[in-house]
Amino acid sequence: MSVVSNKVAASHGPHARKSHDMFSKIVKLSPRFLLVLLLLPVLGGLISVLLPAFGYAPALDQTTFGLQGFTMLWQTPGLVNMAMLSIGTGLISTLLAFIITLMILAAFFNSPWLNRIQRLLSPILVIPHAAAAIAVGFLIAPSGMISRIISPWLSGWELAPNGLFPHDSFGISIILGLTLKELPFLLLMALGVLAQPELGKKLRQQHKVALNLGYCPMTAFFKVILPSLYPLLRLPILAVLAYASASVEMPLILGPNTPPTLAVAIMHWFNDVDLNLRIKASAGALLQLALTGGLLALWLGGEKAIKVLFSDSLTNGVREYGGFYWQKLTVILTVLVIGFILLSLIALILWSVAGFWRFPNALPEQFTLLHFKSALMQMSNPLFNTLAIGLVTTVFAITVTLLCLESEQLSDKPISRFTSLIIYLPLLVPSIAFLFGLVWIQQWVNNQAAFFNVVFTHLLFVLPYVFLSLASSYRRLDPRFARVAASLGAAPCKVFFKVKLPQLFAPILIAAALGLAISFGQYLPTLLAGGGRIATITTEAVTLANGASRRTSAVYAIMQMALPLIGFILAWGLPKYFFKSARV
Amino acid sequence: MHASKFWQAATRYGFYCVAFCICLITSLSTFANSNAQNMSKDLVTRWKNIETLGNNQSVYFYAWGGDAQINAYIQWAAQQVKTKYNINLVHVKLSDTSEAVSRVLAEKSAHNNDQGSVDLVWINGANFATMSEHALLLKQWANKLPHFAYTDPANNPAVNFDFGIPTNGMEAPWGQASLTFYYDSIAINKQANNKLPTTLNELLNWSTQNPGRFSYPKPPDFLGMSFLKYALVVLHQQSSESIKVQLNQAATANNTAQVLTPLWDFLNKLHPTLWRGGTHFMQSGAQMRRLVDDTELSIAFTFSAPEVPAAVKRYDLPKSIRSYAMADGSLSNTHFVAIAYNASHPQSAQLVANFLLSPKAQAQKQKAHIWGDKSVLIQSRLTPEQQALFKTAKPHPSALPFNSIKRTLSEPHPSWVNAIMQGWQTRYGVSQ
Repeated sequence: MSVVSNKVAASHGPHARKSHDMFSKIVKLSPRFLLVLLLLPVLGGLISVLLPAFGYAPALDQTTFGLQGFTMLWQTPGLVNMAMLSIGTGLISTLLAFIITLMILAAFFNSPWLNRIQRLLSPILVIPHAAAAIAVGFLIAPSGMISRIISPWLSGWELAPNGLFPHDSFGISIILGLTLKELPFLLLMALGVLAQPELGKKLRQQHKVALNLGYCPMTAFFKVILPSLYPLLRLPILAVLAYASASVEMPLILGPNTPPTLAVAIMHWFNDVDLNLRIKASAGALLQLALTGGLLALWLGGEKAIKVLFSDSLTNGVREYGGFYWQKLTVILTVLVIGFILLSLIALILWSVAGFWRFPNALPEQFTLLHFKSALMQMSNPLFNTLAIGLVTTVFAITVTLLCLESEQLSDKPISRFTSLIIYLPLLVPSIAFLFGLVWIQQWVNNQAAFFNVVFTHLLFVLPYVFLSLASSYRRLDPRFARVAASLGAAPCKVFFKVKLPQLFAPILIAAALGLAISFGQYLPTLLAGGGRIATITTEAVTLANGASRRTSAVYAIMQMALPLIGFILAWGLPKYFFKSARV
Repeated sequence: MHASKFWQAATRYGFYCVAFCICLITSLSTFANSNAQNMSKDLVTRWKNIETLGNNQSVYFYAWGGDAQINAYIQWAAQQVKTKYNINLVHVKLSDTSEAVSRVLAEKSAHNNDQGSVDLVWINGANFATMSEHALLLKQWANKLPHFAYTDPANNPAVNFDFGIPTNGMEAPWGQASLTFYYDSIAINKQANNKLPTTLNELLNWSTQNPGRFSYPKPPDFLGMSFLKYALVVLHQQSSESIKVQLNQAATANNTAQVLTPLWDFLNKLHPTLWRGGTHFMQSGAQMRRLVDDTELSIAFTFSAPEVPAAVKRYDLPKSIRSYAMADGSLSNTHFVAIAYNASHPQSAQLVANFLLSPKAQAQKQKAHIWGDKSVLIQSRLTPEQQALFKTAKPHPSALPFNSIKRTLSEPHPSWVNAIMQGWQTRYGVSQ
């Protein structure tokens, strides 16, 4: 008896203290670890692009610094068009997505429709950009679904007509694709902010007060909710803007190519047979960096201007700005957006099982499972890679995030503004600008560990989203539980594992599903860091979208959607299943 | 007396002479023989070494991955080398072969000279020219493969030259391709202004009559470039020899304008009649195929003729598709596999390359329902059993009719690719 209790005491005493020390130390170090983890690759990557841009490229036997890269860049025919196309599509699509998000929020705030819209749109979040671009392209093409529905009975078209979309020279198709893809992201981010119990409750009450004071619901939203909501939405919006101005997949599939957007052109230069184009590509990457930076600055400037211009109208007491018509317009827009997305999903599913399907038939002549069969036969290895990389990356990202958030609570002060900005760095710096440099470094440090390199690169993109998703839940944990546990003698380690983590079960699962979804969708990072050796569902899908049949692409796109959806369904379902007994 | 003595001496000397000569010849020929035997013995021991070193490894094969049929063939080859040598052949699917070139270059710049990620790469033309120029390929191995003899290299220059550039044993031939056209027989209905065009000039007329129904992939896409080269070679068919000769030599500042002017004149007439009015070009040959399926285009072309019936069988093209070869000539070339200079598994890569050259692998590849890529082996060098492997089944209605390629056009010097591309980019790359 006494032996046992001695043993227990022994194992509890010094061991507990030791682990407490270890744990606290790890927790304390974790924000710095996070900084190094994110700063080194991004800055290192940028420097490795900077050097060739200024003419230093030992691989090409060029070791003198100079400006020939920029000279070559300025002489590129159509450079201004490329830059304008990038700026235009990036800015307009972000603005549109932002405005429609606000309109939907304003029109349906405090209505059950908001949740329904969210449920309809949230699956879009997990569709990789490439798959979405293919789906959108199919709708608006001359032989697309819309054209098929009206042919030949209305249009008289027996063959597909000469059309304008996609690939129009103004980039309207890119804008359409990006807007549809970013809208659900912004909406979900906004709803996430509003779901914070205290803030959400406060805002909803204020909204009610405004309604009672006779403000029309939409006016109330813009005057009462938006000023509190916007600061919390700023980072996601900037990330969307940065992404939209420098993305590759959408413009590649939907955009014009005489000339393409700057980012697409840079990618082509990097991959060109003529290796001297690398120098021009590096200079182009710097130009892209400047463009994206300029756009972000423009957006922040616009914010300030709007603040100055509209601050009076917040308190001018006007109750109504044609709210009825705005409401109707929003309903129409929402129906259009959802209809568009549903139609493209239906088309995607039809393609995946279509036999012969000649224009202008609205339905395939026969259905077949051939495309699924042949795709599934070749899918096992990419599928395994996708899951393995996603899981390793996500688990690591969640661990680091939790430790960083815990360090906030242990030291009782939020992580520095600098650190929180750095977390979003990989989302704000155009990936095309630093990825090529990063790969250069990875080549040099460890060439053979392709799997590790891919996981590491994915981490740069997964970590910010996981952090974004977990931070608010972690910070609004009631601190009294931890205090009570600590006062009862529990070590910080025990408080963390036994008190905090169980309360965070649901948010952690959601963050995991999000992390997996982000990892599943990565194309350029997987391709570059893995040296093309690591095939995932997404890299296969983009290769096939570029090459083989629309039917096989549809199968891959469906797989791309199914994987993250399974993740989210698990994340929503598991907590209910586990805590059912507890609640009863 | 004197005379008889003289004759005796002469006969004796003559006899010695003849005997000496015979001795000399025999010894020389034995020497030469033994030399040849030594040579082939060297080759045999070399190959034995490779076989022992190359077993039980992985080979990373960087090859364009945009075609399901080709991908399936590579999977078949992977299974074969797995059972034969326990080699794990990994197909790294590229959307553009230049990605592999970039990778090897990046490794060279990082001083990674023996742990490269690219073992084997599917390559020809401009990518090969770049890699050989930057010394990124393993030298003098392909001509020592045991199966290389089946290509009859002495009488078949196609396997030793890639777009006119000597391969120097850096590439093993893998297959042959010719530019083949296909059309939608419902859309081309043989009416007066809608007859099947079989020459470049007819194609221009047809496209003028049926605007928006033809186009080509944007250079530097391989297939788009091939169409431009076909046009260039055909446009010079009536030119003087002095100009024709330029096509087989490097493009220089002096001859570029003269050689390319007819092409630009032709394109200036063609472009306004193309799909999207020539202001937008598709990215790839596969996208072109998809546009035919969408009925946006009515005529298209490919460098791998069997992909057409295969696509019909997979429902990727309508049943009404028919293939044909242009009467004024089909651009033809050979494609190869090469080994990166810093390959991690060069011996295993050679085993794979040798297998890809085997009659079994080549016959499998030539079957229309597998891939349909024309073999590089010369039938007369094969045994009757090996020849039997190449017997074909009844062709699909969409397939290119047997023996329809009457006239092949050889590829111009690879430097013209760059010249055409730059001229194209400045003329048509920015549409306004």
